[in-house]
Amino acid sequence: MRLSFSVNGEGVETEGRADEMLRDVLNRLGLVSVRETCGIGVCGACTVLVDGETVSACLLLAPLAEGREITTVEGLGGDHPVQVAFAEAHAFQCGYCTPGMVLAVARLLEENPQPTEDDIRLGLAGNLCRCGSYVKIVEAVQLAAGRKEGAWTS
Amino acid sequence: MTDARVTGAARYAEDLEAEGMLHARIVRSPYPHARVVAVDASAVPDGCVVLLPDDVRDLRRYGIQIRDQSVLADRARHVGDPVAAVGAESPRGAEEAAASVFVDYEELPAVLDVLDAAKSDAPLVHDGHELASTGAAYFGLRPRQGTNVCHHFRIRDGNVESGFADADAVVDQTFTVAGAQHAPMEPHACLARWAEGRLEVLTGTQTPFNLREELAGIFALEPGQVRVVCRPMGGSFGAKTFLRTEAIAAAIARKAGRPVKLVLARDEEWVTLNRHPAVVRVKLGARTDGTLTAAEIECWADTGAYADSGPGVAQKMGFAAPGPYRIPNVAVDAYCVYTNLPPNGAFRGYGQMQSTWARERAVDLLAERLGIDPLELRLKNLLREGDRYCTGETMHDVHYAECLERAAAGIGWHEDRRGKGLSVILKGMQTPSRAAVAVEDGGDGTFVVRCATTEMGQGAIHAIALLAAELLGVEPERIRFPAPDTDAVPYDTRTTSSRSTYMMGRALEEAVRDLRATGGPRGYGEVFNAGGLDPETGGGIASTHWHQAATGAEVRVDEETGKLEVLRLHTAVYAGRVVNRPAAELQNEGSMIMGLGSALFEEVVYGDGQVVNPNLSDYAIPSPADLPAQLTHELLEADGAEIHGLGETALPPVPPAIGNAVAALGIELFDLPMTPERVSAAIDRRAEVRA
Repeated sequence: MRLSFSVNGEGVETEGRADEMLRDVLNRLGLVSVRETCGIGVCGACTVLVDGETVSACLLLAPLAEGREITTVEGLGGDHPVQVAFAEAHAFQCGYCTPGMVLAVARLLEENPQPTEDDIRLGLAGNLCRCGSYVKIVEAVQLAAGRKEGAWTS
Repeated sequence: MTDARVTGAARYAEDLEAEGMLHARIVRSPYPHARVVAVDASAVPDGCVVLLPDDVRDLRRYGIQIRDQSVLADRARHVGDPVAAVGAESPRGAEEAAASVFVDYEELPAVLDVLDAAKSDAPLVHDGHELASTGAAYFGLRPRQGTNVCHHFRIRDGNVESGFADADAVVDQTFTVAGAQHAPMEPHACLARWAEGRLEVLTGTQTPFNLREELAGIFALEPGQVRVVCRPMGGSFGAKTFLRTEAIAAAIARKAGRPVKLVLARDEEWVTLNRHPAVVRVKLGARTDGTLTAAEIECWADTGAYADSGPGVAQKMGFAAPGPYRIPNVAVDAYCVYTNLPPNGAFRGYGQMQSTWARERAVDLLAERLGIDPLELRLKNLLREGDRYCTGETMHDVHYAECLERAAAGIGWHEDRRGKGLSVILKGMQTPSRAAVAVEDGGDGTFVVRCATTEMGQGAIHAIALLAAELLGVEPERIRFPAPDTDAVPYDTRTTSSRSTYMMGRALEEAVRDLRATGGPRGYGEVFNAGGLDPETGGGIASTHWHQAATGAEVRVDEETGKLEVLRLHTAVYAGRVVNRPAAELQNEGSMIMGLGSALFEEVVYGDGQVVNPNLSDYAIPSPADLPAQLTHELLEADGAEIHGLGETALPPVPPAIGNAVAALGIELFDLPMTPERVSAAIDRRAEVRA
C-alpha cells in the first residue's frame, strides 16, 4: 500500500505492507539509526518522535503514521544540544541505544526543562543501555538542560 | 565532528550488505535431546536455498576448547540447536521458509541439572571428548571420558584436613548462581561470501583470529584462505566470542553461490550463548582470632550442550575462588559439566563472579560465627605485597586492602553498619597471552596502527590510539586505526578478559621502538606473557597480574514484600594507570550496573530444557530507574604502575556486597538472583530460627 508521512521535515511517499512496522519502513528509507533490540516495545532502541511524542517504531504499524511528522536522530542535525551534551559527557559506549536515547531525552526536556536526577531516571526508564552508561547519560541530560529555548524535539 | 554514535551514523555488523545477498534463518530443535530422523524441505517456497544435513557432511566439527559442535546437528543436544537453515531474498521470506521445513525427531533422554549430569550414571550429552588442538592447547584440559565432565581443574596446596583440624570455627555452605543472558543491544550478525576458493566473513566478533582458525578447520582450508573482517559491535560482553553464526552463513553461501547475511532474532540469543549457571560449595576454617586456616571449594559450572569456552570459565571460576586471602591450606575442584541446556560461555567476569559470590558470602558467614567485624576479618587475612597465592605465584602490585578500605568508606561503614555489606575480589587476566601490533609512518605526520583489537563500546581502540599518540609524540587525531582484518593485521590472541589496553599498550611500545630503530616506515611489536597452571595441582602462573577490586553496598528491605532496594553502591578498582578516563569510568559503571542486574533479577529460567523467558520483558536488564540512589566508584592508581584492564573488574564484587548487606539485616541469601521471592523466604527462615 501507499504510505505518506513526513520524515525529518520532508514529505515521503513510499510503498509498504499494511502489516509492516514503522521501523522497517524507516530502515528501508535509509534511516538505520532506528534500531531494533527487543521488538516488543520495552527497550527504546527504536524510539522515534511522532508529532513530537516518543513512540516505539517496532510496535507502530506503518499505516498508522499516515500524514504524521516523524523525527529520527538524523533529523536533529548533529549539533542539537542533546547530541552535543551526550558527546561532551561521553554518555555512550557501543552507541547502539544512543539515537533512541537522545530522542527520549529531547522529549523529556521539552516536558520538564529542569529535571531532577530522579525525574531523569524515571523519564528514561523505557530506554535500555546494556553497556550501562546511565551515570553519564544522567550527566548529559543535566548538561543539556537550559541550553535551549523553546521546542526540544525539533 | 560530532561522534557518529549521537548522529545516527554509526554502523554495525547488522548493517552489512552485499550485492545479491540472501538472508538466512536457522531451523532449530524444539527438543533438548533428540536424533534428527529426517528433514523435509519440500514445502519451502521456490527460490529459497535450504541447508540440509547432506550439505554439511564434509564439514568438520569445531569448538575452541573441545571439538564437540557441528554446523548442523544430526543429534540435537539442546532446545535451539541448529538442524537446518534457509536463505531467502528477504528476512521475512527466510522466516517463512524456515517455518515450512519439517523435521522428524526421535527424542532421547535429556539431563537438565548440573549435579545430576555430573553423576556417573547420567545420560551422556556427548559420547567422547575430542580436544581442540589449538585453542585448548594452552591449558591442560582434563575431560573425564565416559562422563559429562569435560574439564576438571584442581588446586591442591597444603593440607586441608590438617587446616580444618586447626580451625576453631568452620562454615560449610552451598551457593548457586543463575544463568544470565548477555543481551547485547545489537544481536549477533554476520555476512559470509566465497570468492575464488576463499571465504570472507564480515562480523561482529571479539576473536577474529580464533574465528578464522575455526572456519578454516570446518571447511578444510588453510587459515590464509579465510578472511575475517570485524565490524564494531553493538555490545558483546562475551557473547560475540569464537564461532557463533558465521559457519552456518558460510555454509549457506557455499551452497547458494551468493553472499549470505545472518542476523539472529532476539529470542535466538538465549539459545546461542548464556552465562554458566553454577553451584559452588565453600568450606572455610579459621582460628578464634580470625586467621584463616583452610579453604575447600567445589564449583560445578553448567556449560550446557557444548563446551565452548566452558572449561576455561570453570578453571577461572576455580582458581579465583579462594580469593585475595592468605590461606595456608587450599583444595579447589572445578568441574565443567555438559547438560542438555543451551550452551554457556564467556560472560563479563568469566566465571569469577560465580565463585566470588559464594566465597565472599561465606567469609561473612564466618565473620558472624567468629563474632568478628567482616571488614576486620578480611583485612586480617588479605594478601599483601610479596605473599604467595595458592597457585604458588608471588603477588605483586597488591592493593586489596586499599580497595576494601575505600569501598567501606564509600558507604559510610564506620558510621553505622546496619544494612551494609562488603566484598573484595581478585580476578585473573588471560594467561598465557600474546599481542602484536604494527605501526606505519605515513610520512606526513600521520600514523597507521594495525592491530586485531576489536571495538564493542569499551573504548579500547581510542585508548590504544591515545597510547600510540603519546609514544609517537603526535596528536591522537593523527593516528588512523583500520578495521581489524585478519588479512591486514598481526595475530592477536583476542579482545577479552580486560587484556587489550594492557597487552596492546606494551606491544605498541615495542612497535614504536622498532619503528625508530629501523628508521621505518613500519615498526612491529609483539609481547608474550607466559604462564599457565598444572590442572592436577593448580600450581603455576594463573595470571601475569591480577585485577583487584572491592565493593560496599547499603540496602533496605521491605519485609512485607521482600523487595530489596540498593541505596548505595561504591566500588574501588585498582587501575594501575588510567589511559582513557571517561572510558575507564564507563567500564566501572557499566560493570557495576550489570552486576546489579545479576544480583537482583537477571535469570535465564529453564523449564524442561526450554528457555521460559527469552525476551526483554520477561528477562529484565537494568534500566535507569533501577539504579541505586548513589552509584559511585574510584579508580586507584600508583606511580609507575602497569596498566590494569578494567573491562570486567567491577562486576563480580557487586552481588556479594549486596548479599552481605542483606545478611547484615539477618536475612541470609545463598542463591542469585536475590528476587523478592527469595528474600521473603529468607525472612520466613529467620523468623523460624528466632522462634
